Amino acid sequence: MLEIRNLCKSFGALKAADDVSLTVERGTIHALIGPNGAGKTTLIALLSGYLQPSSGTMTFDGQDLLAIPTHLRPHAGLVRSFQITSVFPEMSVRENVCLVLQSFAGQARSLFRLADADRAEQEEAEAMLARVGLIDQADALTGNLAHGQKRQVEIAMALAARPKLLLLDEPTAGMGVEESRRIMDLLEDLRESVTMLLVEHDMDVVFGLADRVSVLVYGKVIASDTPGRIRVNADVREAYLGDHELHGEAG
Amino acid sequence: MRYTHHLRFMLGCLAALLILPFVLQATGSSYLISTATRLVVFAIAAVSLDLLIGYAGLVSFGHAAFLGVGAYTVGILSFHAYEETTLIGLPGSLSGLVALPLALALSALAALVVGALSLRTRGVYFIMITLSFGQMLFFLFVSLEQYGGDDGMMMFEGRNTLPLLDLNDRVSFYYFCLAWFVLFFWFCTWLVRSKFGRTLAAIKQNQDRLSSIGINAYWAKLQVFVIAGVGAGLAGALSANHTEFVSPALTHWTRSGDLMIVVILGGMGTLVGPVLGTFLFLLLEEFLPLILRGLGLGLLSEHWRFVFGPILILVVLYAKTGLYGLIFPRRD
Ligand SMILES: Nc1ncnc2c1ncn2[C@@H]1O[C@H](COP(=O)(O)OP(=O)(O)OP(=O)(O)O)[C@@H](O)[C@H]1O
Ligand SMILES: [Mg+2]
Repeated sequence: MLEIRNLCKSFGALKAADDVSLTVERGTIHALIGPNGAGKTTLIALLSGYLQPSSGTMTFDGQDLLAIPTHLRPHAGLVRSFQITSVFPEMSVRENVCLVLQSFAGQARSLFRLADADRAEQEEAEAMLARVGLIDQADALTGNLAHGQKRQVEIAMALAARPKLLLLDEPTAGMGVEESRRIMDLLEDLRESVTMLLVEHDMDVVFGLADRVSVLVYGKVIASDTPGRIRVNADVREAYLGDHELHGEAG
Repeated sequence: MRYTHHLRFMLGCLAALLILPFVLQATGSSYLISTATRLVVFAIAAVSLDLLIGYAGLVSFGHAAFLGVGAYTVGILSFHAYEETTLIGLPGSLSGLVALPLALALSALAALVVGALSLRTRGVYFIMITLSFGQMLFFLFVSLEQYGGDDGMMMFEGRNTLPLLDLNDRVSFYYFCLAWFVLFFWFCTWLVRSKFGRTLAAIKQNQDRLSSIGINAYWAKLQVFVIAGVGAGLAGALSANHTEFVSPALTHWTRSGDLMIVVILGGMGTLVGPVLGTFLFLLLEEFLPLILRGLGLGLLSEHWRFVFGPILILVVLYAKTGLYGLIFPRRD
């Protein structure tokens, strides 16, 4: 589904992506872990077109990603979410999702349809909000929501785009235990239909969901393997995972 | 409800505008019909600018350029019809059926070119580049010696002609402009509530997020820029007909500034506000000098803007949503 080959990205002297090669198989949940500043968000920005790589190739669904303009990548099926919540604060929660739906219905510049007269679109948005557990806030102004709720809006917007490959940047960071549980269950449900590249710090989430785990340290992929083998990989232990996490309840 | 309150207010305004000529004639002040015409014409331009500033967050400082394109289209066609000469092989025309559509088409084209280039920038750069394009057009019109240079030119043949309607009759002409105003205002009301309007709101609130949900903000911005340019072009074409005179002054940067002031004074992102702003602006422009002279402040009346400036600052400081906010205060 996704093939990254020798991808490099430098910010001045800093190599945020240093010869990254990574394959995400169709139908899997592929976790990307690594310490703060490892370059995880940078990798997602490169894949989604928010940053241009210095060198290297990315192939998605057989297409060269660099040949697809940023705003067309979601239409090709590659959709991202943001680590730092990025919503439309002066719209209702429902409208945030409707905006995504209208984009994928090819109506972003349509003058012919009134925004609040499309019942089908609103119902679809509400169904999406029900899935992320935010239906009771559908009419609330998004800017007024609690941080964790904005994170849920972020997920609803990503799902509304009907992605083939979903790039999730710490989706549950900042959510309460209950919401975070719900989102994990939701991702588990979607496993069949959506391939995911999941950046996550929470090891319970990672080892609970992932079919495969890649470890990024200082812009380099130091290991890419099944969760079981990542857990016992000596390099990974040394570079990143604390022993307490390895022998925690996830084991 | 705020909404029905709003609707009732708008219908009231429309009724007032409809009966205005009769009232003015009955009270022996029909000379004010010309002022009323100016009001509806400039309200069109102000409403079109509100689409950019108030709805898409695009602070365009060169909007008067499109007034000029619309006005000069009408003026130049009239000039060649009067002189019986041609321009690039084409004759002039006095027909409104030729002049108005051409004025709209050319202002659309001008807005397309200016927009395509300036919408690549943002923020202060966008303000500066639209200002520069406005000044470029200003100097272009100044350089048109054939059409009066910086003095501009009279339309000796009078207003455009239309079948069934005599635009030289001031009441007919008022209603003609009012009809365009109502049509354009209704169109803008529809636009901001459409799905495209929702995309514009998204651009204003969080532009960088759009490409991640598959929307190209550039094309959406260009679309609204062209629509607003056509609105200003329409106002320009009507204005040329109204005064039977076109000059570069119409496209001077202070004109663009006036339009921005009117939008801010009236209340951005409300459509009604800029209409109220235009009303107040023209009222002050017409009567503030008289009032100041009456108060024995003759010197100030020459420079009425010095008085107008502080009024504007007070509005911006104390009535953030402008006149609109004073009439429809938020109760939340
Ligand atoms: N636009 C930028 N300009 C300069 N440096 C940047 C930029 N974006 C990221 N960096 C740097 O690149 C490195 C990788 O950052 P990145 O945000 O990708 O890390 P991360 O793995 O997502 O970290 P975290 O777990 O904290 O989210 C960091 O050192 C960061 O400071
Ligand atoms: Mg990050």
